[in-house]
Amino acid sequence: MTFEQPACQKCESPLISRLFCLSCNAFQTVPPEIDYFEVLGFPVCFEINSEDLEERYKRLSLVLHPDFFAAAPEEEKRLSEKASAMLNTAYSTLREPTSRAGYLLSLFTKEKNLNERTLPDGFLQEMFFLQESLDELLESSDSSALNKMNEDLRTRHKEIESYYAPLFKNFKDLPEDSDILQQLQTHLNAERYLRRLLDRIPATD
Amino acid sequence: MAYSEKVIDHYNEPRNVGSLDKNNTNVGTGLVGAPECGDVMKLQIQVNPETNEIVDAKFKTFGCGSAIASSSLATEWVKGKSIDQAMSIQNTQIVEELSLPPVKIHCSVLAEDAIKAAISDYKSRRED
Repeated sequence: MTFEQPACQKCESPLISRLFCLSCNAFQTVPPEIDYFEVLGFPVCFEINSEDLEERYKRLSLVLHPDFFAAAPEEEKRLSEKASAMLNTAYSTLREPTSRAGYLLSLFTKEKNLNERTLPDGFLQEMFFLQESLDELLESSDSSALNKMNEDLRTRHKEIESYYAPLFKNFKDLPEDSDILQQLQTHLNAERYLRRLLDRIPATD
Repeated sequence: MAYSEKVIDHYNEPRNVGSLDKNNTNVGTGLVGAPECGDVMKLQIQVNPETNEIVDAKFKTFGCGSAIASSSLATEWVKGKSIDQAMSIQNTQIVEELSLPPVKIHCSVLAEDAIKAAISDYKSRRED
């Protein structure tokens, strides 16, 4: 997938975001099929530079925020609200690996029939068992056992997150192989069950 | 989002929480999950093999209030029914009874799936 840098519809400077030109401060007419990667000026790819992401988000939110358009004409006010909302959604989706992977997968699977409910073998049984064990630990307030479980679950959660990048890379090389997307869907499903468990563990410190 | 009174009632006083002996050949166990939210639901039935009547049902659900209420209601409804009658319980009936909002419909689907999984587990164990 090549990445062509779009140009401002007014001054023709290269655009970072398809929403707004940071050179001449002009709102852009946004095509309806725009994706969150374009909103923040990244190629449609799982791996993004998180420092760039932070920097672009801050820079764009500082010029797009509706507060700065309080005295502007109605049309500009409306555009700033729309652009800010889109910027925030795009940023919060791309920031975390799991939501970014889920979003990217949804872009790739628009016309594919994926089984959305797949899980690794025996995974559900294990999750039920872990939920029951967690119940017991929470009741017993055995903090060292609880910490241990917390650590184990976090390790597994990180492990799941580490599968996304290589699978998306494989898919880039083999775009016809929908089994790769199915594997991604399975990991994303498993991630939700693990997160559910982690959410039940009270924060320490 | 506000829960309906019936959901709150089942959530505060869930019916039939617990486990049946999964090794008993008259017991069927259904374990299902909702990948949308990470909920896990276990529903078990005990059947009288002479009459095919469901004589007991238990559940344990790790999930939101609507998932707990849906499975609690499901155990109430299957008790005393034949397995064929229980098989025909639809998630839409659960939605209606509990006034579930559209975002919680998957909880009722989960409960219907759990009933069907428990029945099919019971049947397959009887065949063995």
